[in-house]
Amino acid sequence: MSILKMTRRTAAALLAVGLMGGAVQAQEKKDIVLGGSIPLTGVFAFAGVGVHAGITDATEIINSNGGIEGHKLVYVPEDTGYKVDQSVAVYNKITSQHDVNLYYGDSTAFAKTISPEVERSGKMIMAGASFASELDDPEKYSKIFIPGPTYTEMIGILLKYIAEEKPGAKVGLVHSDTEFGRDPVETAQVQAKELGLNMDLVISTAPGGVDVSTEVLKIRRARPDYVIFHGYVLAPIPEFITQARSMGLDTKFMGTFWSMDNSMVMKMGEVAEGFMGVNPYNYYYSDVENAPMLEKIRSMRDTYQSNAYMQGFFSTMMMAEATRNAIKAGKEINGANIKEGLQAIQDFDTGGIVGIPVSVKGNSVPVGRVYRADVKQQKMVPASDWIRLD
Amino acid sequence: MIDWLFFSEIGLAGLGTGGLYALTALGFVLIYKATRVINMAMGEILMLGAYVFMGFTASTLLPIWLSILLAIACTGLIGGVIERVIIRPMLGESEISVFMVTIGLGSVLVGLVELIWGANPQRLIEFIPKEPIFIGEAYLSSKIGYAFVTAAIVLAVFLAIFRTWRGGVALRATAGDQAAAYSMGINVPMVFSSVWVISAMIAAGAGILVGSIGGISPEMGVYGLSVLVVVIVGGLDSLLGALIAGLMVGLIETYAGAYLGGEYKLLATFSLLVLVLILRPYGLFGTHEIERL
Repeated sequence: MSILKMTRRTAAALLAVGLMGGAVQAQEKKDIVLGGSIPLTGVFAFAGVGVHAGITDATEIINSNGGIEGHKLVYVPEDTGYKVDQSVAVYNKITSQHDVNLYYGDSTAFAKTISPEVERSGKMIMAGASFASELDDPEKYSKIFIPGPTYTEMIGILLKYIAEEKPGAKVGLVHSDTEFGRDPVETAQVQAKELGLNMDLVISTAPGGVDVSTEVLKIRRARPDYVIFHGYVLAPIPEFITQARSMGLDTKFMGTFWSMDNSMVMKMGEVAEGFMGVNPYNYYYSDVENAPMLEKIRSMRDTYQSNAYMQGFFSTMMMAEATRNAIKAGKEINGANIKEGLQAIQDFDTGGIVGIPVSVKGNSVPVGRVYRADVKQQKMVPASDWIRLD
Repeated sequence: MIDWLFFSEIGLAGLGTGGLYALTALGFVLIYKATRVINMAMGEILMLGAYVFMGFTASTLLPIWLSILLAIACTGLIGGVIERVIIRPMLGESEISVFMVTIGLGSVLVGLVELIWGANPQRLIEFIPKEPIFIGEAYLSSKIGYAFVTAAIVLAVFLAIFRTWRGGVALRATAGDQAAAYSMGINVPMVFSSVWVISAMIAAGAGILVGSIGGISPEMGVYGLSVLVVVIVGGLDSLLGALIAGLMVGLIETYAGAYLGGEYKLLATFSLLVLVLILRPYGLFGTHEIERL
């Protein structure tokens, strides 16, 4: 064999080894795909647009900081119109085109529908727009993550606040007659009783209803100290408050997460004054110390970002952290290991997205803060310290 | 023991809600009466009218009353354009085809509103006095009270017009027999355009009233589906039927909501619909030859 031939063979062998090595390295650092059934149109579009922006920004920040242990995070969203069949079609499309490890779903109904498939695939965990209490069952929904307190826990946080502010208070619960609205009703009454509160007044409103006079008349007769609204975004809350105040009631009104966006509350106008509610995240404008992530968001977007944005951002952060935990532990990136990584999250500093370090309990993060509307400042301001449910 | 004050207050709220239903139902009935088209986009036209009103109040310094008139006029114009560009070319096609076109039209209008004003729910400017109305000791929400009065006036005017005014007679003649109306010199295409314009104007007025109570969003058009129940119960081609069925559905809904719970409102309404369809498939006051889809 001539020297020339030997040199060529050696070079070829080295090149092959080099390519294989590169391939192995590329395989090790494969992209981690976050698929998303996102409601960019339809009844939930007001939130979907914010969620999409939040996930996009969180993904960009994670990648600019080296990805998830060197793996690039790739966000693949598609619009669902907030329809379960379309969400499922989007899921099938995205999972057939990509090796998906993380997913964001747009509704409780979608989460419940797709959960068996997520279990079967064994590849991913799924967060989403739903805070449904039913999903907080690690046995039944072992790959689900709720990016905040469940609706039951939100009511629990509000009741805890009320019990401290006015022991023995009379509390009314007004909810929409939807899956979303009915979610916490039974457990709320149990929680109220345990805290020594009276929650005999429970009012259900028909979806799409316009006038609320009948319901306000019931409130006038019961004269509760507090009324908690659940299952609404904006309407019919302002009309309830307007009519109740015109009847001379001094009831305090409260809401849960989806009715707590600052821009939505301020659309109520003057009747928003004093409106309270629970939010598991800081607001875009929150002036808090040691909040590098909030500052980063404000540097990326100089206009107000909604609570839905924060929800999408927080979901992405937590799923990325869970994946990081799985990789650090030297485990394969799959649903079971990422979920294990999620449950290993204890006292995680979110950089100011949530005001205190967070831990995952069950499938949720049971922490929140009560805020109050200050119309003069056009802001929701803290009414309590951060409340963690045990 | 019945609390009669509560009972009467619920009744007043029911009448107010029913008045709004009747007003919107008028738009459905007018179009059906003249053109035999069930306009499934009526709810979306109502929504569009409310958004146009918001546009005038948000971006200009116009007085409220002028904004209301301009919003109603603009929506009427849009109704006329819809008739001329989309509906009239469908003349001669089967009723189900036109029916499907109006469903598609509804989706287009929702998309249009989302493009222009975004998907967020909005509040309309407060222009109805906030002070509650008391009839004796019975409370009535001011917005519902004023909405009822407005609806009652509009309905009374239309009932009178249809019996006396020349245009109303032309519409009745067209509804009765298009060929005969043509032969008598009635400008039937003009009648078609007119009812679309007038119905869109009524829908805009109703949209402003409904929006001022419950706020507005691109999905507000589902209100039109509630009103469709009223129209079917009253009879698709009966103005009086729209009025009576509107009040009836409003009362049944509010009494069911008050004494059984909000979750029974729709059940009560649709039970009434089923009952009427079994006993009088053409509605309480509709003519017998109505074809069902």
